[in-house]
Amino acid sequence: MYYPEPISKLVDSFTKLPGIGPKTAVRLAFFVLNMNDDDVMEFAQALVNAKRELSHCSICGHITDQDPCAICQDTSRDSSVICVVQDPKDVIAMEKMKEFHGKYHVLHGAISPMDGIGPEDINVPDLLNRLKDEEVKELILATNPNIEGEATAMYISRLVKPSGIRTTRIAHGLPVGGDLEYADEVTLSKALEGRREL
Amino acid sequence: MHIEQLQLKHFRNYESLDISFADKVNVIIGENAQGKTNLMEAIHLLAFTKSHRTSKERELIQWDTEFAKIEGRLLKRNRSFPLEVIISSKGKKAKLNRMEQRRLSDYIGTLNVVMFAPEDLSLVKGPPQIRRRFIDMELGQIQPRYIYHLAQYQRILRQRNHLLKQLQRRRSDDKTMLHVLTEQLLEHAATILERRFLFLELLRKWAIPIHFEISRGLEQLEIRYAPTIEVLEDANAEKIEMMYLQKFHELEEKEIERGTTLVGPHRDDLLFFVNQKNVQTYGSQGQQRTTALSLKLAEIELIHNEVGEYPVLLLDDVLSELDDYRQSHLLDTIQGKVQTFVSTTSVDGIDHETLKQAELYRVRDGKIEL
Repeated sequence: MYYPEPISKLVDSFTKLPGIGPKTAVRLAFFVLNMNDDDVMEFAQALVNAKRELSHCSICGHITDQDPCAICQDTSRDSSVICVVQDPKDVIAMEKMKEFHGKYHVLHGAISPMDGIGPEDINVPDLLNRLKDEEVKELILATNPNIEGEATAMYISRLVKPSGIRTTRIAHGLPVGGDLEYADEVTLSKALEGRREL
Repeated sequence: MHIEQLQLKHFRNYESLDISFADKVNVIIGENAQGKTNLMEAIHLLAFTKSHRTSKERELIQWDTEFAKIEGRLLKRNRSFPLEVIISSKGKKAKLNRMEQRRLSDYIGTLNVVMFAPEDLSLVKGPPQIRRRFIDMELGQIQPRYIYHLAQYQRILRQRNHLLKQLQRRRSDDKTMLHVLTEQLLEHAATILERRFLFLELLRKWAIPIHFEISRGLEQLEIRYAPTIEVLEDANAEKIEMMYLQKFHELEEKEIERGTTLVGPHRDDLLFFVNQKNVQTYGSQGQQRTTALSLKLAEIELIHNEVGEYPVLLLDDVLSELDDYRQSHLLDTIQGKVQTFVSTTSVDGIDHETLKQAELYRVRDGKIEL
């Protein structure tokens, strides 16, 4: 199928986005052609600005338009507790909860030797420096509950333990509002392991 | 349990197929390269979501088509329900009762299949991975949870081997990460070994008397498991974990030097003895075949005992490989109780009641005639 170059370039750009295949890309590209000029300009500007104006916070690694980020600057937050997460999206998920008032540290990944990702590739050295400089009492390890996330949490806790800082791991278990019978066996056995006294 | 109906779409040389099967013996007759083994493969895939002969899934999809679909209707515990495996370039989907199952361990074990193909005759003599695969497949279908541990183990093992390679080449000297991965590996290694020990106990219970009978009372079979640690088979997971930990500790330098994991269930083997002699090295070809056959027949009984119903048996081109006595022993065993698919180029010369009562299907060029 032949498309004029501006369209095929636009289609190519759309295919670079996750979850967008060739057919959807064509559909989106033709949709853009029919949008009004202002909307298209705004869209293009938003794309460029998101990329240009956002950077990573020099303290915690979260995405931000100011450095340090709003969370790191917020003096009302408890800086003695740091929650370690894999991804900026995890910070946003935690913030939605509105119950955690400590600070964050974003790793941008998990340790995975087979992908060539070691501790120094994921912001771990920065975390250790923070622990030296700041008055931290507790480190909450909130990496993903899969093999790599688990290994990363275990690795960090081994490095930090000797310093006497309390390291905790978030619990695994059943989703709230769910039915026990629909839980898979692995989750159920983890939930049983992590049971507590009432 | 038995397969009532099988539908194929764009699978290998089958453009489209919709066929019903008898609950007893079904004989698939055809010349070479007409699609007999493909049909066996389809049933195997429906049970395990994997082919028994290739890991390249593209090969399973008919030329110039996008996907292959295998659909079966299974009768199990008096209930009839559909199973479905779809293979496309984007991946694989397994559906049970029309609902997609994301975890392999939620799907495998629904349809129990025991396959006996010419390559199984090398179960005894072939390399150790064939015997590990045998244990893993059979254990996986009676204990789906085992598949989960095995998959986790294999992934951690890959991570650990990569790290050991990096340590070997001095790209890293971070032993903390190695210890973390060892700790992760231990838990699954111990569970796998514990479950394999229990499975072995069951296998022995069935295989030894069967072997004795097939050999007309002349051969006493013995099955030994050869692990990488010195541990008794009645040890529990906790004890096994401690033994592994100690061994990993001892071998740390050696593992770094070699750049690979030297201890664990992925290096274990099964050993077979007949009248106290190792069948692998000292056994005749006949003894090796009898051993392979005894193991397969033991599986049928074992699954029946664990699951409560007989599995579906696939005999792919293997009858002609067995002598008359072993053939009739096999056919006597399945008679009237196990749904069996037999593929062969000809039924001439096999004179057994079971085959006389069988349904015959003729395969020609990806089509089946009754």
